[in-house]
Amino acid sequence: MLGQIFVLLCLSSAWAQQLCMPEASDGYKVRLSINTALGDQAYVWNENEMFLFRATLAFAMRSYSGGQDYNVSNIVVCAETPRVSFWFVVTAPLNSSRLIDRSDVEEAVRKSRNRINSAFLLTDRSLEFIGIPPILTAPVTPDTPQWLIVFGVVMGAVGAGIVVLLVTSVVEKKRKKNKKSGDEDIEEEPREKTEGNGFARDGVYNMSFSDDDPVTQM
Amino acid sequence: MGQEARPNWDNPVQFVLACVSYAVGLGNVWRFPYLCQMHGGGGFLIPYLIMLVLEGIPLFYLELAIGQKMSLGSIGAWTAISPYLGGVGLASVVTSLYLCLYYNIINAWSFWYLFHSFQSVLPWAECPLNSNQTGPIEECDKATPTQYFFYRETLNISPSIEENGGIHTGQAMCLLLAWILTYLFIVKGIKSTGKVVYFTAIFPYVVLFIYLIRGFTLHGALNGVVYMFTPKLEQLANPTTWINAATQIFFSLGLGFGTLIAFASYNEYHNNFERQAIIVSIINCGTSIFASIVTFSIYGFKATVNYENCLERTRVLLLNTFDLAEDSINMDNVFEWIEKLNTTYPVQFAEIANKLEGCNLESELDTAVEGTGLAFIVYSEAIKNMPVSQLWSVLYFFMLLLLGMGSMLGNVTAIITPLRDFKFTSNISDELLNGIVCVFCLLLGLGFTTTSGNYWFVMFNDYGANFSLLFVVLIEVIAVSYIYGIKRFEKDIEDMLGHRPNWYWKIMWAGVSPLLLVTLFIVYIVNYIQGGTPTYQAWNKELGKSEVMEYPVYGQVFIGLLMVSSVGCVPLTALYVYCKKRKHGNHHTRQRTVNTVST
Repeated sequence: MLGQIFVLLCLSSAWAQQLCMPEASDGYKVRLSINTALGDQAYVWNENEMFLFRATLAFAMRSYSGGQDYNVSNIVVCAETPRVSFWFVVTAPLNSSRLIDRSDVEEAVRKSRNRINSAFLLTDRSLEFIGIPPILTAPVTPDTPQWLIVFGVVMGAVGAGIVVLLVTSVVEKKRKKNKKSGDEDIEEEPREKTEGNGFARDGVYNMSFSDDDPVTQM
Repeated sequence: MGQEARPNWDNPVQFVLACVSYAVGLGNVWRFPYLCQMHGGGGFLIPYLIMLVLEGIPLFYLELAIGQKMSLGSIGAWTAISPYLGGVGLASVVTSLYLCLYYNIINAWSFWYLFHSFQSVLPWAECPLNSNQTGPIEECDKATPTQYFFYRETLNISPSIEENGGIHTGQAMCLLLAWILTYLFIVKGIKSTGKVVYFTAIFPYVVLFIYLIRGFTLHGALNGVVYMFTPKLEQLANPTTWINAATQIFFSLGLGFGTLIAFASYNEYHNNFERQAIIVSIINCGTSIFASIVTFSIYGFKATVNYENCLERTRVLLLNTFDLAEDSINMDNVFEWIEKLNTTYPVQFAEIANKLEGCNLESELDTAVEGTGLAFIVYSEAIKNMPVSQLWSVLYFFMLLLLGMGSMLGNVTAIITPLRDFKFTSNISDELLNGIVCVFCLLLGLGFTTTSGNYWFVMFNDYGANFSLLFVVLIEVIAVSYIYGIKRFEKDIEDMLGHRPNWYWKIMWAGVSPLLLVTLFIVYIVNYIQGGTPTYQAWNKELGKSEVMEYPVYGQVFIGLLMVSSVGCVPLTALYVYCKKRKHGNHHTRQRTVNTVST
């Protein structure tokens, strides 16, 4: 009796192993890069971790199929390597000789990818399912591109600077003109008296005879 | 008092800083390190310093002397030396105009990168996703994210110079900002320029110093510095090394554009420009060397990062293919493992053999880049790998902006000063004239913001100034030494400085510099003719890299026009003055005969 049960168990596990092989049509290869991802905090991959993996995957199948009773025994693993990579297939909960379709497994994994990753403290890049590409999240693009904001600030500052400079120069010119017209009234009288003795007004200021130092110090 | 006195610099320091700000520009950062790398590392300093002494400083001194003596812009100064030589000044103005048109585009790009640095993730750090969100955009995948950002998002470049699209609005806005900022700096002539140069001349050194410290503390920086600076003295036997050293000194000091004449024309008559000329030239060279140390440390960092990434990718490939434990291969024994696996599993190894990239640190260090490629692609790639990359990015592009703006101030002053000297502009106020020049250059410069604009930019950069400058400065030095006369020139300098220039200067002006310039001129022409059809680098979208293409016929005609239009000013003006003198001569003799008859 015991012998028979033993033989049956061996047969069933052997049967399950036959379902799972590398390059199985309904299986996926999983690759973990624990050392690269976690460095000092890396844990050792052992039977317990493998059990966790199978349990997490069973959870994923349950969530996807809406409550069907997937168990750890439904996730069959084989071809483990020191890399920490292995193949797995998923068998149906009621009929352990029937494999779940590739596409269903893919959808299930995709749906719960985040949960699977966090169970192992890994990311999409360090826990790879070969053949299931990770869903890329597009970066958030705000409505106004950020550079326009900075551009607006700088343009505003420069524009304000120009306006200030132009206005001050116009104001200065007006002030000079007023002052000049005030001075001219006073100058008119002596010029009328001294005829022809005014200085030449269309000469050019000759720099050579300025009173500067002969050699300007740096 | 009839005419307003010519404005002056507030003090000699402003003049020196203006010259430094003008001479120290983007070429010190992106051209000199490239030349240093191509021509034997530390050994390049020997021809560089020799050329500085033989042609750099004497020609710089010459231009300052002319400007300070004549107190006029380039056209007026050369007309005063000899009426037939007014064309030399005009050629300078035309060349400066071409430079102004395309140089501010670089400032526009600096603005664009500067504004895009204020983001949590630098936009050139990763590839954007394609429309399906299944992976990165193909063009970005084939090239690198930094190249993609430059060619696609900044320039939106077309596949060749013949295909044109619309104006890139972002670029156009940045160009507008660059011109408005330039106007702000020059609006009141040197009264405003003189204040601005304190900042534009000094702040880049602060940034360079900060980058020097950052650069030296980067991982792998010393690899770059050691590799680049170890002199390879055999390069000194190559004549191209000496030619490039001479050309670099020449263009780096900004001779021939008329800027130095314009700046010096605002000096006091007795300003000691001899000492200032030597100081500015030495500062310029020192900055080139300083900037190349920084650049080489950045190169070393980038090369080391790329090399280590390459090793990492190889390691992961080996681990995944042969399913070995993760800690069996590390960075140091990748190559040993390659050998081991090749011998133990030759079949499997052959399958991945084509995916294996040969990782070589020296070949990474050997990639020499110059120009906009260095500034905007290589540097931004290095910056994105630094911690707190936004800060370094902002600092770096702000420095590029200041260097570019400082040179722009000189370029625009070189155009405005001669214009101011003409009688017909004396009624227009300073602000209005400067505004007209800026608007004119802005409108023409918008052409460089189109999709094929970068190709036109490269054309202007390569052909717009080089030939004309060599010609102009050659005429300048011959005119002063032989037409005006060294003796007269000596006397003028004695009048200004109080002592005559010593024999070294006279030998350089009369003999060595003209000889050097003639050699450079001939070599340039020979290279141009021998080079065949001029070519340019076009960005291929599908392959994700640049490829060489020939200019179309109208492109080559335009190149010819660029070179001839500035050089042709010299003979044309001489001819015009000659004709005018003959007409006036006839008119005068006719008048004299009339007078004698009436008495």
